[in-house]
Amino acid sequence: MAPGEKIKAKIRKNLPVRGPQAPTIKDLMQWYCLNTNTHGCRRIVVSRGRLRRLLWILFTLTAVALILWQCALLVISFYTVSVSIKVHFRKLDFPAVTICNMNPYKRSAVGYLLADLDKETNSALESLYGFSEAKPRERRETRSRSSAWEGTTPRFLNLIPLLVFNKDEKGKARDFFTGRKRKISGNIIHKASNVMHVQDSKKLVGFQLCSNDTSDCATYTFSSGLNAIQEWYKLHYMNIMAQVPLEKKVNMSYSAEELLVTCFFDGVSCDARNFTLFHHPMYGNCYTFNNQENATTLSTSMGGSEYGLQVILYINENEYNPYLVSSTGAKVLIHQQDEYPFIEDVGTEIETAMSTSIGMHLTESFRLSEPYSQCTEDGSDVPVTNIYNAAYSLQICLYSCFQTKMVETCGCAQYSQPLPPAANYCNYQQHPNWMYCYYQLYQAFVQEKLGCQSVCRETCSFKEWTLTTSLAQWPSEVSEKWLLNVLTWDQGQQINTKLNKTDLAKLLIFYKDLNQRSIVESPANSIEMLLSNFGGQLGLWMSCSVVCVIEIIEVFFIDSLSIIARHQWQKAKEWWARRQAPSSPEVHPRQRGQDNPALDIDDDLPTFTSAMRLPPGPGAQVPGTPPPRYNTLRLERAFSTQLTDTQLPSEP
Amino acid sequence: MLRVPKFLLKGLHRLQKGPGYTYKELLVWYCNNTNTHGPKRIICEGPKKKAMWFVITLLFAGLVCWQWAVFIQTYLSWEVSVSLSMGFRTMDFPAVTICNSSPFQYSKVKHLLKDLDELMEALLDRILAPEISHTNTTRTLNLTIWNHTPLVLIDERDPHHPVVLDLFQSSHNDSSPAPGSACTAQECKVAMRLCSFNGTLCTFRNFTSATQAVTEWYILQATNIFSQVRRQQLVELGYPGERMILACLFGTEPCSYRNFTSIFYPDYGNCYIFNWGMMEKALPSTNPGAEFGLKLILDIGQEDYVPFLASTAGARLMLHEQKTYPFIREEGIYAMAGTETSIGVMVDRLQRKGEPYSPCTMNGSDVAIQNLYNNFTTTYSIQACLHSCFQDHMIRNCSCGHYLYPLPPGKKYCNNQDFPDWAHCYLKLQVSVAQRETCISMCKESCNDTQYKMTLSMADWPSEASEDWIFHVLSQERDQSTNITLSRKGIVKLNIYFQEFNYRTIEESPANNIVWLLSNLGGQFGFWMGGSVLCLIEFGEIIIDFVWITIIKMVAFCKSLRRRRAQAPYTGPPPTVAELVEAHTNFGFQPDTANHSAHTEAYSDQQTLPIPGTPPPNYDSLRLQPLDTIESDSEGEAI
Repeated sequence: MAPGEKIKAKIRKNLPVRGPQAPTIKDLMQWYCLNTNTHGCRRIVVSRGRLRRLLWILFTLTAVALILWQCALLVISFYTVSVSIKVHFRKLDFPAVTICNMNPYKRSAVGYLLADLDKETNSALESLYGFSEAKPRERRETRSRSSAWEGTTPRFLNLIPLLVFNKDEKGKARDFFTGRKRKISGNIIHKASNVMHVQDSKKLVGFQLCSNDTSDCATYTFSSGLNAIQEWYKLHYMNIMAQVPLEKKVNMSYSAEELLVTCFFDGVSCDARNFTLFHHPMYGNCYTFNNQENATTLSTSMGGSEYGLQVILYINENEYNPYLVSSTGAKVLIHQQDEYPFIEDVGTEIETAMSTSIGMHLTESFRLSEPYSQCTEDGSDVPVTNIYNAAYSLQICLYSCFQTKMVETCGCAQYSQPLPPAANYCNYQQHPNWMYCYYQLYQAFVQEKLGCQSVCRETCSFKEWTLTTSLAQWPSEVSEKWLLNVLTWDQGQQINTKLNKTDLAKLLIFYKDLNQRSIVESPANSIEMLLSNFGGQLGLWMSCSVVCVIEIIEVFFIDSLSIIARHQWQKAKEWWARRQAPSSPEVHPRQRGQDNPALDIDDDLPTFTSAMRLPPGPGAQVPGTPPPRYNTLRLERAFSTQLTDTQLPSEP
Repeated sequence: MLRVPKFLLKGLHRLQKGPGYTYKELLVWYCNNTNTHGPKRIICEGPKKKAMWFVITLLFAGLVCWQWAVFIQTYLSWEVSVSLSMGFRTMDFPAVTICNSSPFQYSKVKHLLKDLDELMEALLDRILAPEISHTNTTRTLNLTIWNHTPLVLIDERDPHHPVVLDLFQSSHNDSSPAPGSACTAQECKVAMRLCSFNGTLCTFRNFTSATQAVTEWYILQATNIFSQVRRQQLVELGYPGERMILACLFGTEPCSYRNFTSIFYPDYGNCYIFNWGMMEKALPSTNPGAEFGLKLILDIGQEDYVPFLASTAGARLMLHEQKTYPFIREEGIYAMAGTETSIGVMVDRLQRKGEPYSPCTMNGSDVAIQNLYNNFTTTYSIQACLHSCFQDHMIRNCSCGHYLYPLPPGKKYCNNQDFPDWAHCYLKLQVSVAQRETCISMCKESCNDTQYKMTLSMADWPSEASEDWIFHVLSQERDQSTNITLSRKGIVKLNIYFQEFNYRTIEESPANNIVWLLSNLGGQFGFWMGGSVLCLIEFGEIIIDFVWITIIKMVAFCKSLRRRRAQAPYTGPPPTVAELVEAHTNFGFQPDTANHSAHTEAYSDQQTLPIPGTPPPNYDSLRLQPLDTIESDSEGEAI
């Protein structure tokens, strides 16, 4: 073999025709199918017979569809979480413990404020139930005054009259004070009647709340007079206390020294100085142990009751307000340092003359925020201003939302929640119809009409202490005598009388063990996982990769477009040439190389093609043999040879 | 001599038989024939696209490497995934340990505590009513206990000069006012004086309340007394099982105090364990509900409590796993007298994988602390480890063991006579944070952690109507007397049963196993480059070929260098083009050139003649760069 021939053959073998040089889209597709790395395409081209080819087209399309579907599923399920539960045994931070006496204010201190209200409640009870004040303890003088009170007009009962409803006469009620019947206009709302089915009783007690113009009234009835009177009393009580400044209220309540007789933490004595005051509107002075204000957070490195917090509380039952609180004891809440203690909502009640031991287990939960779930990290992205001086929580958000709405609607703030800036607590003097407004708003709030529940979101991470509470008798029979004596001595100045065991409560709060459970959400998928899953899918169905995708983009978009553009350009040129010189059809735009810079300009191309297609005519020999380098560069020729090779079987 | 290297080189040549003899040939061959998707495009494209494909391929290869690193890192972090299962199934009923709040019966222990109690009463009198002179009573007191660790009153009325008053020292210095004469709790604090080194180095342990001070003091002194009594004797002083456990019913099976294993727990005296599973098999419970649980009636005998030691009255109770030691002081709950306490139980079990997934121990054998609770043949638990660790520290620092914890062999319990400094030492150790932290860091959790979640509810028991007959029956059974020997203050009823859902198991399993790793590696490689393990092998092959070529080139270079040095004076003729071509493409030519030196030397005289060897010029002209590959290709086939 001549060296020239050999080289030629090698060139032909190693320089296949490249995609973009393909003259037509069909050629390009052929080239692509034969040369691509994805499986399937090649089979379409190589297969013989129409049925097979059709089948292969079908298979390939199915595979593509499956890939797209699976990848879509992968993308959709990208934001899922996996949960892991871990247990650590380690030194644990002791939670903040808030302790409140159930009675907010000492009766001896707050008595003068509530005297009138108590009097009217007494008389209401008397006329409603024929109950005469039997308790002789401290209210003797109140009683004597109340009998002399007939002449004056009752302030509280006039404002919100207590009513007795008789089932027989609909729409009529007896105002117990005046005794006359009055027509009830407006709607009668049975408290919670839409939730519970209330047994129809003969007599219902309730009260009527009216807005400023008395035409619009709402009447609240209760199935039991007990509830009605307590609710009625509470309304007035809030009204009265709203007008008392904070310092005065703090003074009227219990001091830390008074409430805490002894205190012991982690084997070391502690005292009232370790507790910070927290004034709660409904519970008076509460004291928080291990609040961050006291330097650093205390921690426990031993489990068991000896190493926790042990306190003995003095609960002076003599100072209880009879209509305000009906149970005796203290309330305890275990919470995080920066959390607001919602003592009225959550909290464990502690009995007197008992030792209550509360064993804790700590569970921490961490959730992933957006886009995995709806929770919020610190509440900064919730459109409700936090009126509490504490870290965000769902409860805080709901109450803040309600309070803000309350200020907007009623013009004043509800007593049991903190004040938003530039607002006052509600009272009769300034806001005569706030109660009606409040009740209406509260109803709407409970029925989720205010939109608070949809706006507020839960926090992403929280600590939870699961409590095991057990009770034991304390002090024991045999130790009662000496223990009470020493405790009386300890209490010293605070009280003059000897302590009674029903005035005391012992409380133990401790970690049962130092196991901390953390429930942590973590993303189930990462971007790496997603890509490798894509890769798995692509590989499984078509043995494809990103390179194939790039090829597809290259071939189907860039190259085909350039071919189309080239065709259009040539057509335009042809048309233009015909326009310019319709007489010369000789200038045939067969010169493809002109548009393609990659192609060598080859003037002889048409001749050569014709020479190859037809047997060369005798006259054609004259111009001489074509130089071999033409052959080497005759890419198109090589292409068509290749094409015919593959095309042959399919073309009939 | 020369044949050996020749043969060797030939052998190497055979072995190599690679796709090319230059780096370029090799690369082109590889790119053309590999199954990885990128490289092929590099060589069969125009110059611009070539560059683009080159960059893309490199980029993807980099990405693949990075992603692989990420995956391998994830795999080596040994993460676990948890599976949660819950429901009801037949399970072993938990072991139930029952103790009395008071460790001993006062009637039996009175003779031991006589001196201490008298002292305590006098002390209380001193604190509470200091005006009345007690000088005559002081005489009769045994002051040796007192002098060891006395309680003092610190008068803080003058905050800069606190006055320390020994509560019993008024007789010694009459000049000072009687201790606590005009002192109230707010002004005077009771403190404990702890001395070591024969009373030369003293510290005060302060208390904010007298209640705590006297309680702590009494407990310390009682510990001293009881630690000198033999264990066997202490067991007899506690509450016996037949007096404490009045009635027992497990499901429908009657049981009695004989079904309980007795252990001596220093805090609470005799404790009784039901269903401990040490000797016999653990009892299973097949049904939820109170009817199928354990029902117990206990008498805690409150009137016989040690008055200064047990201020809380009730039964102590704990549920734990079979064969574990009950650490009832830490994890127990109270049951109140005169009530029926119902305890619904749910078993919360956590099973961990152990190393390297989570730092826990399967049986405690890999923990550096000797488990002192091994005497009870109980299994390892972290509480046991912590207590052993404390005792270990105690023995090291105070050279005696504390009464509450078991003793290692050959050691003694602390008491005032033999170890006068022990109280000071013990209390210092007890509040030492460093000690606890070392213990926490040394002890490991056990991998299988079982907690019994309890739902407690209480009701008064017995009811007023039934009280009479119940007490009669129980008194008759226990004491064979017709009189009522029980009272509401001492009787405890317990119901312990499985809840409707009695188990919750959290089980760990490896989140990322080797299959996961491989499929992800494959996925990544496939995604970016369409590659597989075989592609890696191909790549490895090419690397080996590369190394071969390098070696061959090095050899050739060395040879040529040597030859050039040898030929330096001659300045031989430049190699012909044909020679170069041959040298370039044919390995077989190389040994020839090596021989060539010898060869040329053989007819070195001829070398001087400039031989006009005329190689065909067209060969040279056609030795275009791309042809390299082609030739090598065909040549490779030829070889």
